[in-house]
Amino acid sequence: MEKKQHYKSMCRMCNNHCGINVYVENGRVVNITGLKEHRWNHGRLCVKGRLGVDLVNAPDRLKKPLKRVGSQWQEIDLEQAYDEIAEKIKKIQQTWGNRAMGIWKGEAVGFLTQEELARRFAHAIGSPNYFSNDSQCYVGRWIGYALVSGTWAEPDFANAKCTVIWGSNPPYAHPNMTQSILQGRENGGRLIVIDVRLSAMARQADDFIQILPGTDGALALGLARQLIRDDLISHEFIKGYTHGFDAYADHAKAFTPERVEKETGIPAERVVDIARKIGNARPKVCIYAGNGLEHHENGINNVRAIACLDGLLGSLDEEGGNFIPEKIPLRSLTLYDEKPLRHLGPIGADKFPVLYDFRQECHTMSAMDTILTQKPYPLKGMVLTGANPALTNPNSRKVIQALKALDLFVVRELFMTETAELAHYVLPAATYLEHSELHTYPVCQSIGISPEIVTFPECDYDYMFWKKLAHRLGASHYFPWEDENELNQWILKDTGITVETLFDHPEGFKYKSRHFQKYKKEKFNTPSGKFEFVSDYLKGHGYSHVPEYIAPTYMSDPNPEYPYVLVTGARKLFYCHGRNRNFKRCRTAIPHGEIEMHPHDARQLGVDTGDVVTVTSSVGSVDIPVTVVPHSHILPGVTQITHGWKESNVNLITHDDRNDPIDGFPLMKSVEVKIKPKRQEDGE
Amino acid sequence: MRFITMDIKKCVVCRNCEYACSFQHTGDFNRADSNIRVAYHDDIKICLPQTCMHCEDAWCMEICPAAAITKNEETGAVEIDSGRCAGCKMCILACPFGNIHFDKSNLISRKCNLCKGEPQCVAACISGALQYVTAGDSCRNNREIFQRFMATLHTPL
Ligand code: SF4
Ligand code: SF4
Repeated sequence: MEKKQHYKSMCRMCNNHCGINVYVENGRVVNITGLKEHRWNHGRLCVKGRLGVDLVNAPDRLKKPLKRVGSQWQEIDLEQAYDEIAEKIKKIQQTWGNRAMGIWKGEAVGFLTQEELARRFAHAIGSPNYFSNDSQCYVGRWIGYALVSGTWAEPDFANAKCTVIWGSNPPYAHPNMTQSILQGRENGGRLIVIDVRLSAMARQADDFIQILPGTDGALALGLARQLIRDDLISHEFIKGYTHGFDAYADHAKAFTPERVEKETGIPAERVVDIARKIGNARPKVCIYAGNGLEHHENGINNVRAIACLDGLLGSLDEEGGNFIPEKIPLRSLTLYDEKPLRHLGPIGADKFPVLYDFRQECHTMSAMDTILTQKPYPLKGMVLTGANPALTNPNSRKVIQALKALDLFVVRELFMTETAELAHYVLPAATYLEHSELHTYPVCQSIGISPEIVTFPECDYDYMFWKKLAHRLGASHYFPWEDENELNQWILKDTGITVETLFDHPEGFKYKSRHFQKYKKEKFNTPSGKFEFVSDYLKGHGYSHVPEYIAPTYMSDPNPEYPYVLVTGARKLFYCHGRNRNFKRCRTAIPHGEIEMHPHDARQLGVDTGDVVTVTSSVGSVDIPVTVVPHSHILPGVTQITHGWKESNVNLITHDDRNDPIDGFPLMKSVEVKIKPKRQEDGE
Repeated sequence: MRFITMDIKKCVVCRNCEYACSFQHTGDFNRADSNIRVAYHDDIKICLPQTCMHCEDAWCMEICPAAAITKNEETGAVEIDSGRCAGCKMCILACPFGNIHFDKSNLISRKCNLCKGEPQCVAACISGALQYVTAGDSCRNNREIFQRFMATLHTPL
């Protein structure tokens, strides 16, 4: 028998990229454990991490290229599939123009380079239409923060005197972040959790602030008012490095604790109390904004209002605050400078120019309309890798209809997902254990590399996939590297670091030690070069220059037909977005979706845990079992459904066309719904 | 010799430890099979992970009529030999902390065995609440935390 081989790599079962040991026996991955020396996770690995073994060896993994023939799948030779796909792409682009092709990057299979490769490919074949799930996750916070300070800084929890976890549940969303948060608390820091639900994180909070969905901007402005009034602000920072303080302070003035109570449901005296606690800890205050703040009608401005607190407190780029990581000079693969294509009208950039300006993201929600209406121009083909929009984009019915209407839909995947089922070609992808890719850890200012540990013959890795297509489409000069090792070397070229060095540093190679208050020497990456309490750029686009607060519709204009408000997307152990539902072991632990409900609401509806209800919004309906949670977990009238369940897909009822006007994020977290018990006789 | 310590100021009741334990011993993620149990008291917001302390003078070991429970010389773990266990449940009655449970499929008692010195619950604990340390380390650690706490009470003149 062969000896067990040991590799050191990075986990990709969620976005944390914990360091891992991978053990291989007879060419098969047999175990994954936490890498002791790794800077991020220090040897600890959540149960999802171990599931990498299930992922790579899954019996239902796609290993053969498939082509749809009528209603059947037919196996097809890999190179033949590339040939046919390339031919079809050519035909679409010749008939409808280059921009009629879209490229969609998921995040399921790779690390740092997967995104830039997809962006590069889109531009290499002359299309500005690069899509990803980022137009409805993550980027909303990124833009909110970047509008204020030019970037989204990284939390230095371990050194914070006061940590505020706002709309995030790290134990399930970014598991090993929990270590540093609680390290900070062990070091004497206070932990404040602001959330709609009493999350796992909230169980350790010194102060848990339960807020009504989508009202966070009012609280942030209310805190600002208190901090300014009680003079708990950093005059030095405000005076020297900020823009628009007076207008912002003036705007915040209206948010008295009483008004905040009315908007957010948080008692006025708690607002006063929290503001004092945060203010007294300045500048070592670490405010972390989570995904709970996105997916609202006023999402970006709510995030901006929170981002502004860093400026008031002087906690930006401070030890124990939100510090701005220094970048490593990696070479970029994108072609935005070399071959800008904005004149071709990237989808969504007309309606949501800020989204494109800041992130060069096209708008996936608008893409569905474009496919269906051919407006403003035809979008006829899509190549999608490692994403499942049929389950994770809002308004699933429309998504499925649109993807089905494409002339060419290619999906590169690990499994036959709900999205892959709609494709004309499905190509098998390589997992994160099957190829070598770089990844940075901004918070540790370190960089790592994954080794190729096992391979499967027809499962090409990202670079190979794009390269093979590009070579057939006359774009080979954009993909000149023989393989990903050459590519990695090219990316690293200007850093002075070699691939070998990275393999010698599985703990993450620290490229620079941290420095604070860099703004004293360098400007902020904003139009004014300062920290922007107000944004003239936004004003130029016709938006409010201050982070204005607009109450969610369910508050400002309640509709008696839809008396409940539904939050979606809370994270659960074992599951990362739409993934892992096909692993049997996970189903033993968490077998199905659920709607979380307050005992009072359950009583009124006459339902108990396990009973099935029909939840209806103006978009559609979904049937789902109830879980009655303890009183303190959620407010009466508020409910929560986690996405990613095919059998009870909550995105059948979320809105694709009610968007934050600035970044276009869809309304998925304060959805007005009605709930009816599903009686036996109603069901089939 | 090391044992597993539990910090109730860090545990968030995420249950990674329970599932990791279940997986280690059964290959499935079934909380009922876990030797570590995490309790959450909603009313007082107390998070309490609990697992075997591997007592030097173990009540369970004392009482086991089948002599199925022994102390592992290397790891210090108090272990049940599943081949010898008669399923009489005396150990379950004897353990004052309730750290032994009954395996209904195999009709024997089950408890923590420290996974041969690499406890999987600790490896999976993403908050740092669980540590695998010597008694000396644990006491030093607690002392340091207490001293830091005392220091925060002291306001410089
Ligand atoms: S937190 Fe879990 S899933 Fe995420 S990277 Fe770490 S081990 Fe992997
Ligand atoms: S893994 Fe750690 S934090 Fe999670 S429940 Fe167990 S002891 Fe608590």
